Amino acid sequence: MRSILKTSFAAFVAAGIAASAMQANAQTLSGDLVIFSDMSNPAPRAVMEGMVERFGEMHPDLNIELTVIDREAYKTQIRNFLTANAPDVANWYAANRMLPYVEAGLFEDVSDIWEGAMSEELASTKGALTVGDAQYGVPYTYYQWGVYYRKDLFDQFGLTEPTTWEEELANCQTLLDNGIKCYTIGTKFLWTAGGWFDYLNMRTNGYDFHARLTNGEESWTSDEVRATFANWRQLIDMGAFIDDHQNYSWQEALPFMVNGEAASYLMGNFAVAPLREAGLTDEQIDFYQFVEITPGIPKGEDAPTDTFHIPSGAQNKEAAREFLRFVVSAENQTLINNGANLGQLPVNALSSVDDDKFLQQGFEMLSSGAPGGIAQFFDRDAPAEMAAAGMEGFQEFMVFPDNLDDILERLEATRQDVY
Amino acid sequence: MFPTPVQKSSPAVRVGYQAFLPLALFLWLLPLIAVMIFSIKPDVDFTTGNYWGWPSSFEGFTNYGLVFFESAMPRYLLNSVLITVPTVIGTVALACMTGFALGVYKFKGNLLIFFMFIAGNFVPFQILMVPVRDLTVDMGLYNTKTGLVLFHIAFQTGFATLFMRNFIRALPFPLIEAARVEGVAEWRIFVYVVLPLMKPAIAAMAVLIFTFIWNDYFWAVVLTQGPESQPVTAGITSFNAQYRAAYHLMSAGSIVAALPPVLMFFLMQKHFIAGLTLGAVK
Repeated sequence: MRSILKTSFAAFVAAGIAASAMQANAQTLSGDLVIFSDMSNPAPRAVMEGMVERFGEMHPDLNIELTVIDREAYKTQIRNFLTANAPDVANWYAANRMLPYVEAGLFEDVSDIWEGAMSEELASTKGALTVGDAQYGVPYTYYQWGVYYRKDLFDQFGLTEPTTWEEELANCQTLLDNGIKCYTIGTKFLWTAGGWFDYLNMRTNGYDFHARLTNGEESWTSDEVRATFANWRQLIDMGAFIDDHQNYSWQEALPFMVNGEAASYLMGNFAVAPLREAGLTDEQIDFYQFVEITPGIPKGEDAPTDTFHIPSGAQNKEAAREFLRFVVSAENQTLINNGANLGQLPVNALSSVDDDKFLQQGFEMLSSGAPGGIAQFFDRDAPAEMAAAGMEGFQEFMVFPDNLDDILERLEATRQDVY
Repeated sequence: MFPTPVQKSSPAVRVGYQAFLPLALFLWLLPLIAVMIFSIKPDVDFTTGNYWGWPSSFEGFTNYGLVFFESAMPRYLLNSVLITVPTVIGTVALACMTGFALGVYKFKGNLLIFFMFIAGNFVPFQILMVPVRDLTVDMGLYNTKTGLVLFHIAFQTGFATLFMRNFIRALPFPLIEAARVEGVAEWRIFVYVVLPLMKPAIAAMAVLIFTFIWNDYFWAVVLTQGPESQPVTAGITSFNAQYRAAYHLMSAGSIVAALPPVLMFFLMQKHFIAGLTLGAVK
């Protein structure tokens, strides 16, 4: 019986492979495929070029034209080219960042790519790419946020990774007593403060409340939000953050951690590379998930997701769809996200992760340690105007905590306008 | 005479002047000095907070090597040349002709046309951003060097015409009358009589327009995208990484990008100053 099952299973698999091979043969793509990408750094650029090359080998009749645009310039140019000379495939970001283009009808509905098994494999980001009931893009990479800390400093003062708010505060007090700031941060460009708010709010009130708040369904003057700021204020009153942080960019805040003047940094995984380059070894830096504040609340995490989309004005949508299918495949996501390439986390659940210490911890955390849900980041979850006003408010609060009432009323007024 | 020359003021003032001048000069140049120092520093110095100290290692060759050989910088520089040179030639050629027409011939509406050229200078160029962008898209010139060149020529000709017309007005008119009496055709008068006399104006104009266009950032960002058409001013930001700003490479790139106008200035200093003051006193 068993062998029969086995054989029939094998036959089934073989038939499946043959069928998919035939399908691949049947879909000979031709014409031009124009791709605009913002993966302009050396490593991401190589990844993008590699993907185009491998996709090109699979479809020799297809003429692929890749234009890589500087990432910052891309953010302003996308409005232009989506209406003027739309490519067939374009890079962008998930959640509210793509919403204006979806609402303006500039991004194509790609729900067909998400049908069936794909929805399972990409489940962690499906919500972030869904507007209404349809999906408008596919993810290719994301990365975790969390607390990166100087393990050698923790060891020196006998501290361990905290898991509760009390432990976090106690650790911080010990560090402060020894003349070391707990956290480095540079709020000049505001978004770093957004990270702190995301985590404090998700831990104080839960992911669902946070999602409703960034979605405009909760009031900024509510008791829940005030509780979040009260927790934040505890840290500010202790003097936990470095002084004059409003004058630094996130990069300019790194030296404090490198030189041992501050012990940790709430940041995305991209902070690891410069820390290593500055001479810190993996024994000196480590990572922990942001601690629990309200006991029992399922933890939510920030994991900003980068995506591919098909503009509505695309000429070769058939080839574009095929390229998107190629991008999300587990095999491709494993390859492009490994340490030698992007050095980030693959979204496809069937892919494997690079054995880098931080990527492993991040993958573990996002796949099993974040039952609450995965947020994109404050400025991607909230609409642009709300995000701008919100992050200005957070920075102001960090410098002048007594202005809280003013700030919250301003944010509430913005919420009334925006949504 | 006002201001009183320093040499004639009291000794205290003179000493103070001599003491503060180098200090003021240093402070004034500090941003530039910083850029120069940054351009020879390794990336690590920015992560360890060593902004103003001695570079931890000398990376001048590496940084400039990266800029020249590993990045799209040569391409951007070439684009800048291909945008700036045609613009200078086009603008100067057009302005010589319009200046000649408006300066020499008396016809109805002469003043009106002249005012229209000048009026163009009073339009803040930012408000033209959207219409010009739409126009270039409609003409199929969006993201091309040609589009940028045509726009620059159109916009610079206004100022250049004012300049040229006033210069030609100041030329001795009897020269032209004498040529007419001899029966020389009008276009020959322009080519053989007026143009040679305009050489200083043309040189000054060319230098000015060259620096204007080379340093243009606004239109480069509005009308072009990517290394196939963008000039160097817009291309410098391409050193920025996704999450990190590459200060050392941007500094090296900025210095490379700034060299041509600086060289132009030193080589053509005489004309540059003439250009700024020409037409100021008539």
